[in-house]
Amino acid sequence: MRKQWYRLDNAALIFPAVMRKNWNNLFRVSATLKDPVDPAVLNRAVSDLLPRFPTVFVRLRTGFFWYYLESLDEAPAAEEDYAWPLTPMSRRKLKKCCIRILYYRNRIAVEFFHSVTDGNGGMTFLQNLTARYLSLKEGLKIPAEGRILDPAEAPKTEETRDCFQLCGAKRGISRAEENAYRLRGNPEEGFFRHIVTGILPTDRLLEKAHAEGVTVTAYLAAVMAEAVLKRQQKDANAGRRRHIKITIPVNLRKTFGLETLRNFTLAVNIGFDPELGEYTPGEICRLMHHQLAAETISQRMAGRVTTNVQLQRSLALRLVPLPLKTLAMRLVYSISGESKGCLNISNMGVVTLPEVMEPYVERFDFIIGVQYSYPNNCSVVTWNGKTYISMIRGIRDSELERLFFSTLVERGIPVDIESNGR
Amino acid sequence: MYCVYCGVRLQEGVRECPLCHTKVQIMEEGGTQEASAWPDRYPGAERTAGRILTISLISVILLAAALGCLIFCLKSRGGVAWSGIAGLGMALFWVWVVLPSCFRRWRPMVFLPLDFACAAGYLLYICEATGGRWFLSFAFPVTALAALLTLTGVAMMRYIVQGRLRLMSLLVIAIGLSFMLVEFFQHITFGTPMFVWSLYVMSVFVLAGVFLLVASFIPPLRLMLRKTFFY
Repeated sequence: MRKQWYRLDNAALIFPAVMRKNWNNLFRVSATLKDPVDPAVLNRAVSDLLPRFPTVFVRLRTGFFWYYLESLDEAPAAEEDYAWPLTPMSRRKLKKCCIRILYYRNRIAVEFFHSVTDGNGGMTFLQNLTARYLSLKEGLKIPAEGRILDPAEAPKTEETRDCFQLCGAKRGISRAEENAYRLRGNPEEGFFRHIVTGILPTDRLLEKAHAEGVTVTAYLAAVMAEAVLKRQQKDANAGRRRHIKITIPVNLRKTFGLETLRNFTLAVNIGFDPELGEYTPGEICRLMHHQLAAETISQRMAGRVTTNVQLQRSLALRLVPLPLKTLAMRLVYSISGESKGCLNISNMGVVTLPEVMEPYVERFDFIIGVQYSYPNNCSVVTWNGKTYISMIRGIRDSELERLFFSTLVERGIPVDIESNGR
Repeated sequence: MYCVYCGVRLQEGVRECPLCHTKVQIMEEGGTQEASAWPDRYPGAERTAGRILTISLISVILLAAALGCLIFCLKSRGGVAWSGIAGLGMALFWVWVVLPSCFRRWRPMVFLPLDFACAAGYLLYICEATGGRWFLSFAFPVTALAALLTLTGVAMMRYIVQGRLRLMSLLVIAIGLSFMLVEFFQHITFGTPMFVWSLYVMSVFVLAGVFLLVASFIPPLRLMLRKTFFY
């Protein structure tokens, strides 16, 4: 059988080019069930989903001009989870499979190389895997609704397409912006990443955000910006106080009304200049909210997508062999790729499941890996009235997490803390 | 159970707050430790099979190459000739590169003395095989000096936490001065004139060492150096 292959989507192009031996761009979604996971049933569920998700069960291949993804003939086996989540995938591993399916006690986790899909695509896959697992294990009849797809159906064209090519504007807009303050610290040994998860009651968080007249994402970005600002004020080496900016990945599916299982997000940076004066928490909230609203209107998003796509379509660039292209991309990425934001806050939003599945699922988690030069990142997911905020860091210093979560506590939101600390 | 400093609620059984590292003082009566959400399996263990294969393959190739050289020399020259140097060179490569990778952790205070001892032994063999008289007066003291300085540097980096920069600056100065000793051994062994090149090398190292020593006393300069060369 001829193997199906896919060009990398526009957002995915950069990840194989900039990956290092000790770092690549990964994220992880996990579902914790009420009962322990049976690995044999999980493996059957994975195999059943192989034909339904041809863009997820892929390996990374190297062409002469570009990298591309090739569908797998055989589903990867589920492995027992690691003590070190989001351990980088080596090139050799990526040539075999770009995802890891993991289990530990009651938890099913999937780690994705970001070229495969984004958080939304990842969550769709995880929910389908969980649904298939529960239907095999518990004999549930799960309807194909919401994110749950019919496993017997053939994959639809819109699920496998690169939506970036469909939503451009007439011309692109400039990507120039001020550099942001860079968080630093003593790097942690090996591939160990500290993950601190704060569990918040969603109604209290919503109440506080609505009291400020902002969305939850803007509210959390504002609290995080305050924490980064306090961190900067304590940083003796900061020198000139650079902009405090939070990077928010925006799900373009809602913006453009398109559906895909591949990458379709675009990051926007929102923040302020601390050199201009002091800001009250309320002012920071409003700043974040209005900037986020202004940046995420479809016209600006389309303009930014166009800028990225134009570069990809340029004939001069397309004819350059991959090694040279990789070199250029690495150079550009190291100069400006991660200099425009202090850290990411990726908010997955509210996860919903078909009613029949709900009694079997305890919680969902969403963790994004650290960037090459930012030591901290943050991801958020809401399930069943609780908001799970996972902060990951590759450094020993936990000051940013402390400032962030203690600010939430000071504002009257109770926070339960879990960590993978050793 | 709450952290008294941050105000967040902690998991049962934790010893300290993961945010501020404040120790948990009062354990609740009858409180049980929650099962860890993370396993003890490390991804490094996975690579063992591949690593053993690579080590075995390299060892076999080196052994075959050394035996090939020996057989060639025995047939064509009627003796060991240069195959001894080539074979021992491969053995040295094995000790330096392949042997440490057989262990999970590279322990410098064990491997480095072994590496230098093997290097000295190899040089002794070359000296004897070529009929030279430079081992005792040149190769041995230079190797010993290099071993001493390397081990001192490694020990300082591993076991000393405070005042590392100051000690490092002294080590840099010591390395600079050691080049004069090397030229001295060269002079007594080969009869070359003294202080032809070592003075220049020594000056560079001593200047760098003095700069580091000065920096260790000036906090802003020390911070700037740490910031620049952190990663």
